[in-house]
This record gives sequence, structure tokens and C-alpha cells, in this order.
Amino acid sequence: MTATAAPLKDLSQPMSVTAPKPQDEGRKLGFRLTLPAQVLVLFISLFPLLMQLYISLTDWSPLSGMAWPRAWEMWNNFANYTDLISDNRLWSALGRTLLVMVVCVPVEFLLGLGLATLFADDFPGKRIFYSILIMPMMVVPAVAGYMFYMLFQSGGPVNDILSSLLGTPVTVAWLSDPVLAMIAVMVADIWQWTPLMFLILLAGLVGVPEDQMRAATLLGAGPWQRFRTIVLPRMKTIIIIALAIRVIECFKIFDTLYIMTGGGPGVATETISVYIYKITTQDLIWGYVAAIALAILVVLSVACVWAMKRMARAQGDRA
Amino acid sequence: MSAIRLEHLVKQFGAFTALKTMDLTIEDGEFMALLGPSGCGKSTTMNMIAGMERPSEGRILFGDRDMAGVPMGRRGVGFVFQNYAIFTHMTVRQNLDYGLRMGGRPKAEIASRTKAIADLLQLSDLLDRPAQGLSVNILQRVAIGRSAVMEPAIFLLDEPLSNVDAAFRAVMRTELKHLQRQFRQTMVYVTHDQLEAMTMADRIAVMDHGVLQQVGTPLQVYNDPANTFVARFIGAPGMNLLKGRPVETPQGVAIDLGAAGISPVLPPPQAAAARSAKAGVYYGFRPEQAHLVSAGQGLALPVTFVERIGARSILHLGNGDTAVKGVFENDLRATLGETAHIAPIGEAVRLFDAGSGAALRGH
Amino acid sequence: MAEIAFRNVTKRYGKTLAVDDASFTVADNEFFCLFGPPLSGKTTMLRLILGLETPDEGEVLIDGKPVNHVPPSARNIAMVFQNLALFPHMTAEDNVRFPLVERQVPPAQIAARLADAAAKLHIGHILHKMPAQLSGGERQRVAIARAFVRDPAAFLMDDPISALDARLREETRVELKRIQREAGRTLIYVTHDQEEAMSVADRMAILEHGAIRQIGSPAEIYDRPASTYVARLLGSPMMNILPATRTDGRIEAAGGALRLALPGAPGQATELGVRPEDLRVRAWDGSAEGRPATVFEVEPLGGFTVVTLDAGGTRLRALLRGQPDIRVDAQVALACDPARVQFFGAGGQTLARS
Repeated sequence: MTATAAPLKDLSQPMSVTAPKPQDEGRKLGFRLTLPAQVLVLFISLFPLLMQLYISLTDWSPLSGMAWPRAWEMWNNFANYTDLISDNRLWSALGRTLLVMVVCVPVEFLLGLGLATLFADDFPGKRIFYSILIMPMMVVPAVAGYMFYMLFQSGGPVNDILSSLLGTPVTVAWLSDPVLAMIAVMVADIWQWTPLMFLILLAGLVGVPEDQMRAATLLGAGPWQRFRTIVLPRMKTIIIIALAIRVIECFKIFDTLYIMTGGGPGVATETISVYIYKITTQDLIWGYVAAIALAILVVLSVACVWAMKRMARAQGDRA
Repeated sequence: MSAIRLEHLVKQFGAFTALKTMDLTIEDGEFMALLGPSGCGKSTTMNMIAGMERPSEGRILFGDRDMAGVPMGRRGVGFVFQNYAIFTHMTVRQNLDYGLRMGGRPKAEIASRTKAIADLLQLSDLLDRPAQGLSVNILQRVAIGRSAVMEPAIFLLDEPLSNVDAAFRAVMRTELKHLQRQFRQTMVYVTHDQLEAMTMADRIAVMDHGVLQQVGTPLQVYNDPANTFVARFIGAPGMNLLKGRPVETPQGVAIDLGAAGISPVLPPPQAAAARSAKAGVYYGFRPEQAHLVSAGQGLALPVTFVERIGARSILHLGNGDTAVKGVFENDLRATLGETAHIAPIGEAVRLFDAGSGAALRGH
Repeated sequence: MAEIAFRNVTKRYGKTLAVDDASFTVADNEFFCLFGPPLSGKTTMLRLILGLETPDEGEVLIDGKPVNHVPPSARNIAMVFQNLALFPHMTAEDNVRFPLVERQVPPAQIAARLADAAAKLHIGHILHKMPAQLSGGERQRVAIARAFVRDPAAFLMDDPISALDARLREETRVELKRIQREAGRTLIYVTHDQEEAMSVADRMAILEHGAIRQIGSPAEIYDRPASTYVARLLGSPMMNILPATRTDGRIEAAGGALRLALPGAPGQATELGVRPEDLRVRAWDGSAEGRPATVFEVEPLGGFTVVTLDAGGTRLRALLRGQPDIRVDAQVALACDPARVQFFGAGGQTLARS
């Protein structure tokens, strides 16, 4: 045993301080104090859910002439749920919703990430660009919808710009063509939601320790290598959160779209939300609507739990 | 090739000048410590050498090559950060071989070089542990190994020992210095701890408020500090400095130290220097270079405190402007409140101009 | 006025034994230091004294009275925190006055106690300043004054100056000692810095894994450590502890570089300990006994020089006075005063000389 070797022996012990456990009594008291609030919250969120579940098992409609608590008189034994499987319009709407999701979310992600990378460094006029960039997010969706509705008119600014660029008059009927209407709707969605992606990713990017980036640079890593080995692993969690938020939001895409196309031409841009809205307000078959809504809730919840688990695992890798 | 030359280096952050005209040459293979209190400009200097900051004025040369415009990834310097900047989402091995992997070296070479550095730093058993959660003592070695594996000609270390515990720090000091002696890189070491600078460096550059105060070997800055700042900063405890005025005594020129009495007579060259100081002088001597004398000689001051710290005892005398410390063996006899008589030994006395603080070299 | 004692105190957190059958008595007006590596139970002991924790076994006593079930507020013990925790938006005076105002002490009495604390701690001239305008040492005094006005029976301090830089720590610890002596209160002090502990403490307790390994004055513990564990904790550079072998009336260590004629050496000794300052080093000329050691590293400190030596694969350190001319790789002869050598048994315990 040399004087030098002695302290080296204990080096592998991680430094940690065993914090005293919070006392159980304190925890119990806290539970009791927050109980009334928790019950209230539970009631507010649970009641509509149960009501929905109840109605979804009946043929009840507001036109049926009886109050909803008596809907059991119109009990239909899961017929709504079996109908749902053979509802082609529903499946097309779901397909369109997924299409919007598959196109818009990656585009928003890549644009957001590019912009975030740009804004992680300083450049002149950063604040002004920053404000302009996050403006779309602050526009009321209905207003945004109206704005894009105007932009994509056949005599609207989009065609005007295309005309002056191409030198010949362009009169594309954007919102009357099934394919072009879909494109227009997606453009609007990307315009409005890229800023959110940008903000979340920027927060993550700024959280990557400067020193680690510098260390990687000094060790000879180029920009792409730094991004791949330092930035991406460190942003895994936040990327999953950002994507999860946008995927869920995509399922709910409604207001902008409804104002621009009303789901048309025909049903060419009809997404889940628009479809539900239509059958709720036009067909008034609320039992069936409740069944669809519940089915989507279940699917989304399962997807969310899966995403959360992935996140937890990603964090576990780091700890 | 790997000598570092700083020519008229200036760094300003807005209106704040972090570094005022620094000229310094660090020889090839030299261990240079940049020493000073926080905010003295030492880290700024090193960040400029690494290429993390751009000089406001002046040049940095590696050998004869001007580094202006060379990005930090291309300078080929190893850098150990104060907080180590370990890639916590990787294992120890992935940290160590990071630079080699990014450089696209062959697999076999990566493996053998990583193994060699891990053996050297006693990290072999920990290679596959995640870096997160390891103790600072280990992280510190990972940080050094990660840079060392690249075999840089220039190694920059920013307070690498400030976070590790005291016992381990003493061991690492010896090991670091020995490593540098083996591999002969040019090493620049930033620290605020004079002990680290003294024990490890070939030369020390003492800095304060963005100004280089003195450059020299550890014993040069200890024995002949250029000014009162260096005199106080180097040594533990720092040099005793007592303000006084030269007086003529029958035996020759001495310094009137006010409440502390009259100093022993100065040798002629110092006497001449003392006379020339218009604003008076600081009379300085190292606590280790003092002895207790009988009444009537030396400085007479009350004992205010006796600290026994293991191998040595520190005697505290006087208060405020007359505070003097002496470092003695443990057989020291002193009683609180009584008057002790202390005198610097032989040629230990250093004089400084009371106005400018600069050393008055009497030779 | 307070004497504080532990009587066989044990404290567990789950399976972790934080304090292990600890017994000690801190005398009135004593500066008592708890010293040990991280997680050795120092802070838990302070919490037990404060009453923030209750012992699982044993008793905490203040002035001879068991206080296990006395709440913290009724113990009259003041804690000075690591970060000093002064309110930054209040002047020093308001900071000091705060605990009294909180307790609705009559104004006349507040003024009297404030004046008393200011005089004892020499802060009269800085009372009007804001904490940000004060130096580290001044802030310390104000923080202590704030605890002092409550007239506590004892002060507890948990590593109060560890955040200061080295030079300031050296000054502040002397200051602390002076304050304690002048204020005349029992002070229990936790630190992880051995130099600080030795500097300030009247007596100290050396802890390991929650158990007390040795209690005594710093000089006693430094000169006569109870075990290799204690011996290594105090002293910088730390004590050289070397495996020793016995050959006809002599003890040999460090590959034969250190040979001592020691008739009184205990028979069971497996290791010997030599303080770096007790090791003598001179150039090897072949005339000395034993084998030479090689100089591995030389570290000049100015007033002292630390020489690390390599002797038959064993590293040892010598602390020499002044600035001797010793070069790396030189061959040297080692010697030391046999009277200054410690002997340790196989379990690391110190053995008495026969």
C-alpha cells in the first residue's frame, strides 16, 4: 500500500448524498388537503366521459324527444361500434387525417429543426425574425383559415404571384380541386404549426450544454457529427414530446380547414373532426358520434401511452 | 512547432476589457500555469488560444503559424474543461474514443489507443460504465483521457482540479505533472490556486485584472515577486507586507513600521532603493523566512492567534495594518496576548514601492 | 451555555446507517469539529442536535437533559448555513434584527441585543450596508450575529466557508475562531477540509461511515492517530503508510529504502507510518544503509518542498523545509527519526510500542 495508491481505491464509488426520506405523515397530510380539489377535477373530467360512453351504446338523438338520461330505452347493444367498422366515409376521413399527419408533421419537424439550429446562434436582427416567425402561432385558427381561403381564391394573391413568376396568367382553382385543396390545407397547417415545433426544438437545442458542443468541436467533430452524436441523443426526449403533441393535434385538425374548404370539394378534405362535426350537426345521430369519439380517444390514448413509455426509456438510457 | 506566442493580445467584451495587451511566449514542451483570481483574464486568454474566442487585437501564433481564422476544430489542441463537459449520454469508452471515431480512424487503432489511455489513467475497469453518475474524480480523468488520446501537441486545462476532493487533488497534481514530463506536450494550465501552479508548472504567468503581472519559474515568483499583488497571491500564507518609511539609524537605513516598530537595518543596495521611494515602502518577508528573536530585536507585536496545522504552526501577530504571520515548526512556544519578537532571516526582506506596489530591487 | 452530548446514538435511513452508535460530549464553550469524508454522518449529527431528526437508538443530551422529544424550536440552538443565507434586500442591521422582530421582542431589548452582537462581532461600522456590499468575511460576521442575537446556547455550522476561495478561507477560519472565543459559545462545526479542522478545533471527532473513530485535540490526533484511516485523513501530504517487514531487530519498508533499528517495535506490526515532514532525504553516496530511492517528482511550495519518491515501486512523499536542490530521477537515501514512526496492525489499528 503506497501513499499514492490509497485514495485511488475509492474512486469508482459514485458520489451521491443520501437525502433523508420525506416523512410519511407529511405526505398523508398533503393528500388529505388536496383531496377536495382532486375529487372536483376527477368529476369534471370523468362525468362527460361516462355520459359519452352511456350514449354511445344507444340510438339516442336530440330529436328522439326524450332527455339523455333515458337513452337506455333506445339501447342498441354495441350496434354503433359495429357500424363504425363498416363506415367507409369514416375510414376515408381517417385516411385523410393520417395523410395530413404523415405529410405535415415531418415537414414541420424538419423546418422547425432547421430554424431552431439557425436561431441557436446569434445573428443580427435575431429578435425581429424571431417575433415574425412565431406570429402564425398566435393567429386565431379561424382567422388563419379565412386568410388562406382568400389567398387560394382563383383570383387570389397565390395565383397572382404565380402569374407574375411564370409570365402567363394562372387561374388555378385551388380549393375546388380535390388534390390541390388538400395541398392548400396542408400548406396552411404547416404555416401555422411550424413555429410551435420551432419553439419546442429551440428550447431543447439551447439546453444542449455549450461546453459539450465545444468539446466535440475541439475533438475534431464536424457540424453533422456534432449534431448526430451530441445534439440528437440529448434532444431525444424533447423531440418525442414535440412529435407527440403535433400528432395529437393533427387528429384534431378542424377550424382552419373547415373555413377553407368545409371538407370539400365533396368530401375531398374531410378529416375525422370535420366528419364528426358534420354528422353531429347535420345527421344528429349522437349515439354514433359518441361511439366514434370514444374509439378515437382509445386509439390516441394507446398511442400516447406507447410514446410516453418510449420517452421514459429514452430518459432511462441517459440516467 | 507547438510553441505558443501571444503578441499584444487584447480582448474586449463590449466596454469591458477582459485582457489588456498580453505578450507571452510559451515554449515548446513547457508547462505554463496562468494563475490569478477569478476575473483576471486567464480563462479568456486560454479560450482565445483554443479558438473559442476571437482576440479583439493582437495575434496568436503556434510556432510560426498565425492562428487567426483557424477554427477551433482545426487547431489540434486538447482542452479539458473546468466542468469536464463529459458526454453524459455515452459510456466512458465512447467518451475516450470520441475524437478518434469522429476522425474516422481504423477500428483496431481506436481500440488499441483507447486501451492504452484507459490503462494509463486507471479507467480500464470502467470503460463500459455510463459516464452519467460517475464521481468527479473519475470524470476528471475521463476528460483528460478524451483529449490525451488525440495526442495533441498543445494541451489546455481549465481548472481541472477545482472540483475534485483535496486528497485526490494532491495525487492528481503529481500524476499530471509526471504525465506532462513523459509526453512533453506544451501545456497551458489555468488555475486560481497558487499551490497547483507552484507545484506543477515550469513557469507561472500571474495575472490580475486583465494584466500580466509577472512571468517566471515558481521559485522566481515566490522569491522575487514583481509587485505586492504577486507577493500576496503566491505562498500560503502570502508574504507579510508592512507599510513604512525609511529612517536613518546609527547602524544604517531601516524602515519605520509604525506600531510594529523599526525594522532591522537594510543592506546598502536595498537602503538606496528604499530612500528613492517617495510614497514610502512596503516591507515584505515570507512567513516561512522569519524567526523569533529576543526582545529589542526585530518587530515587537502581540500574539493574536496560533494555528497548528499538522506539520507546521502558523503564528499570527498584530492586527490590520500590522498583521504579520510566521510559519514555524510545531515546537513553537507562544502565548496569546503576549508580545513576540519576529525578524526576517538573512536576505528574506523584499521592498515594494508603497505607491505603485512594484518591487524595489536593490541589486 | 451548553454542553451537548450523544449517548450511543444510532440513526438509520432505510438500510443506510447514517450514525452508528456514536457517543461524545462537547464541553461548554468548546469549538468542536466533526470531520470526515462525504457521507460519514457529519450533517446527520448536526440534524440530530438541531432536532430535525430523532435518533433511532440512544439519546441526544443538552446540558445533561435528554432532548430526543424536544422540538427544534425549543432547543435554542442556532444553525449558520453554508451559504450564510442573508436576505439580500435587507441591510446588515435588518438582517440581524430579523429573528428578534419575528419573535416580537420589545424594541428596547432589540436595540440592546443588537448593540451587544454588533460589539462582540465587530460589525457596528457595517450595519448600514447591504449584504452585496460586504466582503465574504463581513457577511460571515453578520450571519453569525443574526444567530447570536437570539442568544442561542450553541451554534452549529455546516461547512460555512467552503464556498470561499483558498486565500479567503485561510483568513476567515482564523476570524471564526476568534469570534467564537470572544462570543463565548459552544460551537459544533462540520468541515471536510482537514487543514481548516485542525486550525479551528479545540477538539475534533473523526468519523467513518457514521461511527466515531477518534476524539481528541487536533494535535493529539495528528501525532497519535488511532488507525491508518485516521492517519490518512489528517495531514497534507498525507502520512506515508508502508508495508513493513522485520529482519533481525530491524524494520524495513519501501523495498529496503527505509531501514530502522527499532527494538521497541510491536511484534504484530504489518505497516509503519511516517509523516512526510519526518522523512529526511539526502543525496545517495553509497554509504547509507539499505537501498536508494528515486526522486519521482519535485513540487516546490516556496517555504516547503514536496518530494515524491519511488522506492521499489512504492510511492512516498517527503515534506522538506525551504527550497533544497533536488532533481527528478536523482538517487537519494531516506532516513527518519525512529521515535516519530507509528506502527499499525493487520486491521489498520495503531499498535503501542512495547
